[in-house]
Amino acid sequence: MKRKPFKASAALLPALCLLLSLGLAACTGNGENDPPPTSQEGGNHTQPDNAAGESAGNETAAPNPDEPAWTLDTSPVELSWFVGASWYAHSWGDSLVSQYVTDKTGVSVKLEVPSGEANEQVTLMMTSGQLPDLISIGSWETAVKKLWEGDHVYALNELAEQYDPYFFKVAGDGTLKWYRQEDGNSYGMPNDSYSPNLMHETGMTAANQTFLVRKDLYEEMGRPDLTTPEGFLGALQTLKDEYPEYKGQPISPFFAQGNVPYGMTEYLQNLLAIPYEQGGQVYDRITDPDYIAWLKTFRTAYERGLINVDFLVDSDTQVEEKTNNARYFMMIREWTGMTAVNPMLAASANPESYYIAVDGPRNSSGDPAKLFPGNMDGWMVTMISKSTEHPERAIRFLSYLASEEGQRDLFLGQEGQTWETVDGKPQLNPELVELLGSNIEQLEKEYGVLDTYWMLRNPVIVNQWRPEKAPVIKQMEDFANAQADIDSGIYKGLDPLGDAEAAIAWSRISQNWEEVLPELITAKDEAAFDKVFDSFLARRDEYGFELVTAHRQAELDARKAKMAE
Amino acid sequence: MDRTRQPVLRRMRRQWQLQSMVIPGIFWMLIFCYLPMFWLIIGFMDYSIAKPMLQSPFVGLKHFEAFASDDRFWRSIRNTLGMSAIKLGLGFVIPILFALLLNEIRSLRFKRSVQTISYLPHFIAWTIFGGIALNWLGEGGVVNQVMIGLGLQEREILYNSDPVYFWWIVFFTDVLKETGWSAIIYIAAIAGIDPALYEAAELDGAGRWQRMWHITVQSIRPTIAILFILAVSGMLGSNFEQIFMLQNNMNLRMAESLDLYIYNMGLVSGRHSFSTAVLFARSIVALGLLLLANYTSRRLTGDSIF
Repeated sequence: MKRKPFKASAALLPALCLLLSLGLAACTGNGENDPPPTSQEGGNHTQPDNAAGESAGNETAAPNPDEPAWTLDTSPVELSWFVGASWYAHSWGDSLVSQYVTDKTGVSVKLEVPSGEANEQVTLMMTSGQLPDLISIGSWETAVKKLWEGDHVYALNELAEQYDPYFFKVAGDGTLKWYRQEDGNSYGMPNDSYSPNLMHETGMTAANQTFLVRKDLYEEMGRPDLTTPEGFLGALQTLKDEYPEYKGQPISPFFAQGNVPYGMTEYLQNLLAIPYEQGGQVYDRITDPDYIAWLKTFRTAYERGLINVDFLVDSDTQVEEKTNNARYFMMIREWTGMTAVNPMLAASANPESYYIAVDGPRNSSGDPAKLFPGNMDGWMVTMISKSTEHPERAIRFLSYLASEEGQRDLFLGQEGQTWETVDGKPQLNPELVELLGSNIEQLEKEYGVLDTYWMLRNPVIVNQWRPEKAPVIKQMEDFANAQADIDSGIYKGLDPLGDAEAAIAWSRISQNWEEVLPELITAKDEAAFDKVFDSFLARRDEYGFELVTAHRQAELDARKAKMAE
Repeated sequence: MDRTRQPVLRRMRRQWQLQSMVIPGIFWMLIFCYLPMFWLIIGFMDYSIAKPMLQSPFVGLKHFEAFASDDRFWRSIRNTLGMSAIKLGLGFVIPILFALLLNEIRSLRFKRSVQTISYLPHFIAWTIFGGIALNWLGEGGVVNQVMIGLGLQEREILYNSDPVYFWWIVFFTDVLKETGWSAIIYIAAIAGIDPALYEAAELDGAGRWQRMWHITVQSIRPTIAILFILAVSGMLGSNFEQIFMLQNNMNLRMAESLDLYIYNMGLVSGRHSFSTAVLFARSIVALGLLLLANYTSRRLTGDSIF
């Protein structure tokens, strides 16, 4: 059959337009997956080397190890600072504190936050070779190691030797030593780093894991015992029978933060006080009978319709909406995430609907929880990238911020303006303390004091100035402190990360676990549960679990050796 | 007529204003489609973003062997093919039917409004549309309310927590969002049909259905064929944004498409070489599918892209 060419082409024209647009779309997709080449040869002109006399020519005074070097040059300079937390919403320059620091040191900071996952964003920035001057990112992220190994960031000790030896005085041998690599250099500086000695001394453990319940419901029920499977299921049954709704919407009985990989695994295991090692050998916590017994309890609760799986599927916004409306009954959730919500609930029309920390699930011998304390790794590590044009200003700025003076400037602001010395101790002005209880957002936006700029926060220094917390927050914090297992910081993050074979095995296993755990909870009976769990264990072995165990063991041994030094 | 006999170069020179418009497009294609192909080479290396690229060691087909023995890879193939089959089998005819029905509407104003309203959702990003869809499907959402109201289910179902619903959620949300947009191309093709054909058919006593079938459908057959070829070659692809928005740990078993797998391996787990190898293999299979569909269509209908 023959077609007239004109007709065919008239019909083809729109099709070809579509073809082109499809082609373009497909190409865009490809482009994203092909990282362009990296080029790091660029920044060599700022490479510090230890040859004397070469230090930046614009100053005459040689750096003095007893004097902060930031005073040598306070000309205006802008440093970009990547803060690896998508929720971090503060800016620099509007708040009193930031203006004060900029006036004093000449440094103005351009804060950048990731649009999605910090780790992915830094990885992408590395492939483009363009990094911000300063980078703060979670100490557990794989990008940290890649930044160090890929020579993307300066060794802080080398920069300090050249431009600001005072840094060694303020950085403290402890933290620098903790992050010292095999080449003898330290590339990052942590915030919120806690040494076991410090925690024993002060009782401030930085533990943030809590088991929370809504106070009014919990008390109306007669403070049920939630530590045993029977009590736990009983309380859920009462909830279902007597309090199925709140403000016209169904109650969500249960929530676990960071769902499978965190809340339902590591965190729950900590509540159950499951050990990390037995007789010097790392312990396979996931197969612990107590943990499995509790997973089965959750399965039973699901089967009886006492909990839903909303906590496994809800998006962050859905979780936030439920939290703000006090629609959860029990939560496996860090108290630090509740510091804004709890005072708000306590000030709401139903002032008893805030959350309190109570004893959650316990193991069969009834041991109290063993929660993660803070540790030497700290929360985020801050680094100076080799893309910076001002390495000397960057290291001096870090050194200033880490010093007692800088910590005070960031935490309290300018003396006379936001704080005064009372009885020889700095004290925040009363109106600011009041704002802390009523409108923390305004406090951070306008004044920028306390925990607004926490990138280099050193708890040892700032906690002495911290105003008393609101009772609804303090209850949770005290509860967590009391259950912290101070010496368990060493077990945090033993899992392999990066490109090694063990790391690939671990990422396959843990991603699989994220799928398996929901299957366990929704399994129709115990036999189905056991079957799913056994097949997970088999798959885990097939993916190379023994490599992971070996890595954990080696890492633990290495840490113990480091601690003993 | 004699224009066609002119040498190509001279003809192009005469049209230089028009021809120059395509230059940015060509550069765009070169830079974003052809140059990046070179970097497929990292699929054969143990590439690390921490090192300069050409220092990475060649490892041959290691990554290809690795994904071929990964059960999760085969699962993602199954999911992609499953979702594509639904889309191709049911989804492909919906915009055609929509365009045909729209064409039968007499009131021009009503027709235009329907057309505009139906393609508006296309301009909403999946990040937003997916969020809306999740609310519809969640507790207290409109789907549950309607189903309970109609007596079709007794209690609320968290639709996006049960893997069995996932492929259908993908299908229905896609139809909802894209039908109007996909119909445009058919509507354009229908608009190009010579009205004399209809008049002649009417004189010969053809009814509405007969005109629709014998004139409209036959005239847009080449368009349908070409779009079908393209759809077949895209079977290993999926709408990444859509699936990324709708997936979660509970439905991942049925939700992880090949694209999502590549993303999870490459960007989430940082296995760049591995995911490049998967992508490379996928492109080769997609090319094969395209050629196959093109060949089949040429043999069966005489319409093809090349």
